[in-house]
Amino acid sequence: MTDKHQPPHGVKVQADVSKERKPKIVGFLCNWCSYAGADLCGVSRFQYPANIRLVRVMCSARVSPHLVLDLFEAGADGVLIGGCHLNDCHYMTGNFHTEKRVGLMKRLLREAGIEEARLRLEWISASEGEKFSKVVTEFTEEIRRLGTSRVLTDDMMKVRAASADNASETFRLKALIGKEFNLLNKGNAYGDKLDPEKLGRIIDTAVVDEFERALILELAGIRPMSVKQLGMVMDVPTDRILKHIVLLRQNSKIAMEHSEGFTPVYRTVATGDER
Amino acid sequence: MMAKKEVVGAVLVVGGGPAGMQAALDLAESGYKVYVLETTPSIGGTMAQLDKTFPTNDCSMCILSPKLVATGRHENITLITNAELKKVEGEVGRFSVTVTKHQRFINEDKCTCCGICAEHCPIEGANSFERDLAPAKAIYVPFPQAVPLVYTIDKGLCIGCGICEKFCEANAIEYDMDSEIDETMEVGAIVLAPGYQVFDASKKSAYGHGVYANVVSNIEFERMLSASGPTEGHVIRPSDGDVPKSIAFIQCVGSRDAQTPNSYCSSYCCMAALKQAVIAKEHLPGLETTMFFMDTRAFGKEFEEYLQRAESEYGVRVFRNNRISGVQQNKETHDLSLSFIDAADISEETFDMVVLSAGAEPPEMSHKLAEILKIKTNKFGFCETDELSPVDSSLPGIFVCGAFSGPKDIPDSIAQASGAAGKVAALLSDQRGKLVTKKEYPEEMDLSNQEPRLGVFVCHCGINIGSVVNVPEVMEYASKLPGVVYAETNTYTCSQDTQKKIKEMIKEHNLNRVVVASCTPRTHEPLFQNTVREAGLNKYLFEMANIRDQCSWVHRLEPEAATEKAKDLVRMAVAKASRLEALQQPKIPVTPAALVIGGGLSGMTSALEIAKAGYEVHLIEKGKELGGHLRTIHSTLAGVDPRRTLAILRKEVLHNENITVHLGNTVEDVKGYIGNFESTLKDGEKIEHGAIVVATGAIEYEPTEYLYGKHPKVIRQTALGDMLSSGKFDAKSIVTIQCVGSRNDEHPNCSRICCSTAMTNALSIKKDYPDTEVYVLFRDIRTYGFSEENYNEAARLGVKFLRYDPSTPPKVQADGDDIEIHVDEQFIEQRIVLKPDYLVLNAAVHPNPDNKALAQLLKVPLNKEGFFLEAHMKLRPVDFPTDGIYLCGLAHSPRLIDESISQALAAAARVNTVLSKSSIEAEGVVSVVDEDKCSGCGTCVEVCPFSALRKNSDGVSEVIVAACKGCGCCGATCPEGAITMTHYTDQQLIAMARAALEEG
Amino acid sequence: MDGHPNLREERPAYNPEIVAFCCNWCSYAGADLAGTTRLQYPTNVKIIRVMCSGRVDPAFVLKAFSLGADGVIIAGCHPSDCHYINGNEKTAIRGDFLSEFIEDAGIESQRFRVEWIAGSEGHKFADVVKQMVTELEALGPISEESAQ
Repeated sequence: MTDKHQPPHGVKVQADVSKERKPKIVGFLCNWCSYAGADLCGVSRFQYPANIRLVRVMCSARVSPHLVLDLFEAGADGVLIGGCHLNDCHYMTGNFHTEKRVGLMKRLLREAGIEEARLRLEWISASEGEKFSKVVTEFTEEIRRLGTSRVLTDDMMKVRAASADNASETFRLKALIGKEFNLLNKGNAYGDKLDPEKLGRIIDTAVVDEFERALILELAGIRPMSVKQLGMVMDVPTDRILKHIVLLRQNSKIAMEHSEGFTPVYRTVATGDER
Repeated sequence: MMAKKEVVGAVLVVGGGPAGMQAALDLAESGYKVYVLETTPSIGGTMAQLDKTFPTNDCSMCILSPKLVATGRHENITLITNAELKKVEGEVGRFSVTVTKHQRFINEDKCTCCGICAEHCPIEGANSFERDLAPAKAIYVPFPQAVPLVYTIDKGLCIGCGICEKFCEANAIEYDMDSEIDETMEVGAIVLAPGYQVFDASKKSAYGHGVYANVVSNIEFERMLSASGPTEGHVIRPSDGDVPKSIAFIQCVGSRDAQTPNSYCSSYCCMAALKQAVIAKEHLPGLETTMFFMDTRAFGKEFEEYLQRAESEYGVRVFRNNRISGVQQNKETHDLSLSFIDAADISEETFDMVVLSAGAEPPEMSHKLAEILKIKTNKFGFCETDELSPVDSSLPGIFVCGAFSGPKDIPDSIAQASGAAGKVAALLSDQRGKLVTKKEYPEEMDLSNQEPRLGVFVCHCGINIGSVVNVPEVMEYASKLPGVVYAETNTYTCSQDTQKKIKEMIKEHNLNRVVVASCTPRTHEPLFQNTVREAGLNKYLFEMANIRDQCSWVHRLEPEAATEKAKDLVRMAVAKASRLEALQQPKIPVTPAALVIGGGLSGMTSALEIAKAGYEVHLIEKGKELGGHLRTIHSTLAGVDPRRTLAILRKEVLHNENITVHLGNTVEDVKGYIGNFESTLKDGEKIEHGAIVVATGAIEYEPTEYLYGKHPKVIRQTALGDMLSSGKFDAKSIVTIQCVGSRNDEHPNCSRICCSTAMTNALSIKKDYPDTEVYVLFRDIRTYGFSEENYNEAARLGVKFLRYDPSTPPKVQADGDDIEIHVDEQFIEQRIVLKPDYLVLNAAVHPNPDNKALAQLLKVPLNKEGFFLEAHMKLRPVDFPTDGIYLCGLAHSPRLIDESISQALAAAARVNTVLSKSSIEAEGVVSVVDEDKCSGCGTCVEVCPFSALRKNSDGVSEVIVAACKGCGCCGATCPEGAITMTHYTDQQLIAMARAALEEG
Repeated sequence: MDGHPNLREERPAYNPEIVAFCCNWCSYAGADLAGTTRLQYPTNVKIIRVMCSGRVDPAFVLKAFSLGADGVIIAGCHPSDCHYINGNEKTAIRGDFLSEFIEDAGIESQRFRVEWIAGSEGHKFADVVKQMVTELEALGPISEESAQ
């Protein structure tokens, strides 16, 4: 990345300086449209708040859920993803996949308890310099309104954010999201196009499952926990927790540590530990 | 109309549960082509879901799995799984059957069942096998031991994402299959064994199943108890994963219940629930289990003892007289409370869990089957049968067995299944052997004087082995082992092209031993043995190293150590293989005749069926007349006339030219073994025969209690039957006492038939003499199955049922010509005094005292009561451990007429499997006695459970090859080391142990 | 031969070798099920398949120890589950005899086990192996003279 593409330093932004920490916002921009749009914004001297830090990627589809969720886990207050308008993608269909991935990220943020509005997807073409400044200004306002991310101050929020991140890395969610666009638009292995609502429900269920399982593994990795304790900490019905535990045990991801009275206590199996 | 109808020597069996498998195996072994139609992707039925089986607490899968494999592999059985019946045309002897196969979208020949597809499938859905306890993937195998062992795509769940196809290295996934295809086949007969379905417990909403997390059904609980189930055998509360401290079992959920259509009794749930309580207590010492019965229906062989042990040894709390009205849940704790009757009081208790004993219902396909086949079903939807022809449907050529003809437990289903097979074999006897295939192999090469030349084939199994074990390194290592002249690696050693390659390599390198390092011999040894046979090698010159199931899969995280272990395992296999010897499977000729001992209903039925199948039968009856107990029975539950039946049966037996009846005769000596028995009768006649049926019946107990024989008004139920049938009955009131001479210390078990008999008599009195008062003094009413209807009817007609406790049995006093009975009624807690015109004692069925001598003669076991003991209480109900000897009827245990007939037909079917062969091929893996070393101590003869060893005329032991099963117990016992166990010789096993412990 | 199994460099400590005689019908099937369900256990065990646990001559066990085995398992069907009616009853009797004999010979009793493992008990198989390896690691190598 070269300096000349960065927004000029020292530009004063006319915005209220809040009492709080300055919002930390990261923007991922695709090389061909949005980044060019941001440049045009600069060339045209459209002003926007200075809180955003931009990362250039070749295509918005490069922005994997892990990249974004990892930032939220690290305490980012907002993430903006900018790509070409639909059908304008330099890589044919990349941004259609971006759309699906952002859908997954938002679902996972919701599960983690992080406001969905902290993640924003915008289509900004190379000619939309003004739109870029508008989007950033609006988004910064929105983030200011939402306040500072609780991830850094609330341990449980950090664990939840980490779990959302881990869930996004599971094969199941990656596979579903990776296939979502083609299943809806091109047809599946049997040559049928899926009903978007039905697939949406399937993905919703998978997201909730995988998030809860990831959270169980995070929590029971910190210290051994019972089903009831997990249920209380996670605010999930204990019978659901138990079903997850049954499955995680079958996959050797969690093991019974000991019993406290009549209550078995489970511990996450550290990877690489075969005994 | 066809000019001449050709009968077809093939059979369709509908249903692949234990009953279907048994019928299929018996028929296939008797020379018929069999198609097994199964709606689910695997055979096995409900039994595959069970953890343990009563009354022996046997592991269900352990005993079922060998049967699954035997059925799947039989050359005369074609499995049509994931399919349903569509159309049937024609009639007995020649049916044209069309079935619809629902595609798996998996090429069954290519799928190696490695499971990588399911691991990656992103879809989770309901799991019909594990119930709600664990999800299933959209591509799945119902359980690890499934047959056929191939994956299936659940089209309803699958979203067609295409991921499994990408991962399947065997290229077995074919999305473009038509979703269903029809197949048509010609068969001579049809056997229906579609089983049953478990009542949906959530329909009884008062119990809260599906609403309260800790209320589970019996099948769900069974999966929880199973070591291979979702919780790995841990009993935990579904609400919060806690270990329960107390469990209540509610019986009769969806059976004996007028609120549901199911007013019949489901027969097996009492025992199944008791078993679950006992096993749960074994899992969790200190667990409180409480059972709420209406009656305890522990009516089968040794069931009552199980009930008593459950109460006294395991401390299971048993309440009778209870039909629980509902269950309440505490919202906070999810604990469950219910009210019940304890003596005369109403109590309430709280439990951690509740298990609902959901009953049996006709299978879902019942209506459709009836419609397609035009057979009659009863008002509940079960297949209608006649008491005297318990395996016949209403249409000729269509037979029924298992729970589809009424709820029953596994051994009764198995017996009925063999019975149906017996009927089919007799029906199609002209066509025996016409459609079966016998594979031809090239002549075996002579390897004498050849040094071992081994070929080793190491399998990658896609990535199953290859991703953990360094397969090329193992192959390289193997190629340097002594005796190995050729080694290679394969992507899939089991694929058809590799099979071809193995055969080519045997020829090219003159291999005389083959080692395959891949999966488990339990599933794949026969396949590879077949391959080497096709290349002219003896099948025993093959050995496997299990480097997948017992190496790569279990040491996934230690690839280097796993590779070292794989080398060790290959070295062990090579060490054994170099010492392998070709083994012969001698053919033992069979005398196509049977000896049936006992001329009662069972013996006659069995003899007639064997004779109809075309074999000579000698029927031995001790008495002067055929008929046995049936002569004393005047009416039965279903109202058929036993006497007429007896007359017809007797005539048929006497006129059948294949049957020789030996009246007033007994068997004095029996020599020989399966296929080759020689018996000597009392009159000196010697008979040669290939099989034996024991049908010696039982006796009616002669009571010593309740003034029997001392007072003229005290009679047995048989005398009452005589009076009723001869019209000499004249009484204003009668009292019947149940369980006389049974369920006591001396005879702990239930006589099974007496409750039904009591109903028969009570109903016939109430019908002909409606004003006569009838009292039945009972402990538990055990009118299982559809005879529950008779119990309901008797109660409706005003028969009075009074429950007594065995600790305070009724007291009978004589008062001159009158009698007085004092009974402490349990339910109302009152002493009742009765002065009837007759006291009828429902006397027990006791074992035939002759059993002991006959058991010694035949070297077969008796149980401690004195009934004959079968080879396995669940899956081999009419077999003895010794091959070629079978049993049926009351000699086995007390049973009703239809059940005796089923068993008699079953024994006939089992005999047919022996007599249908001109010779029996013995196992190659048998014991061999070195006569020079044998001291004649006889220890081996004692330890052999199959009577496969005997002393010969020189006083030393010899092995009866036909009877030997190859377990090797004798070899390990022999103090002189005179017994060699072929294929598992000391030398071979020690070579393996040595190789295991060698430096790598 | 020093009686000690291969000591690999990356495994500094003692690496016990276990020979397990498994009956074909239950215990071998249980070991397979451990694989099917991908349970992980140490590589120290080598299985020798026999048709029935009753086939295992006490001499095999002693021979295995003399060849350098650190532990020996005989695994069969649960009582009353035997495919050969009662072969495992004989195993039980021989097992008791062997345990005594082995202790008399100065070999620790933990080095020899008779286990009943059903075809559905993949977990049990894995647990038995894990446990025994742990125990043997604690015991250390077998003393030279008692092995003979």
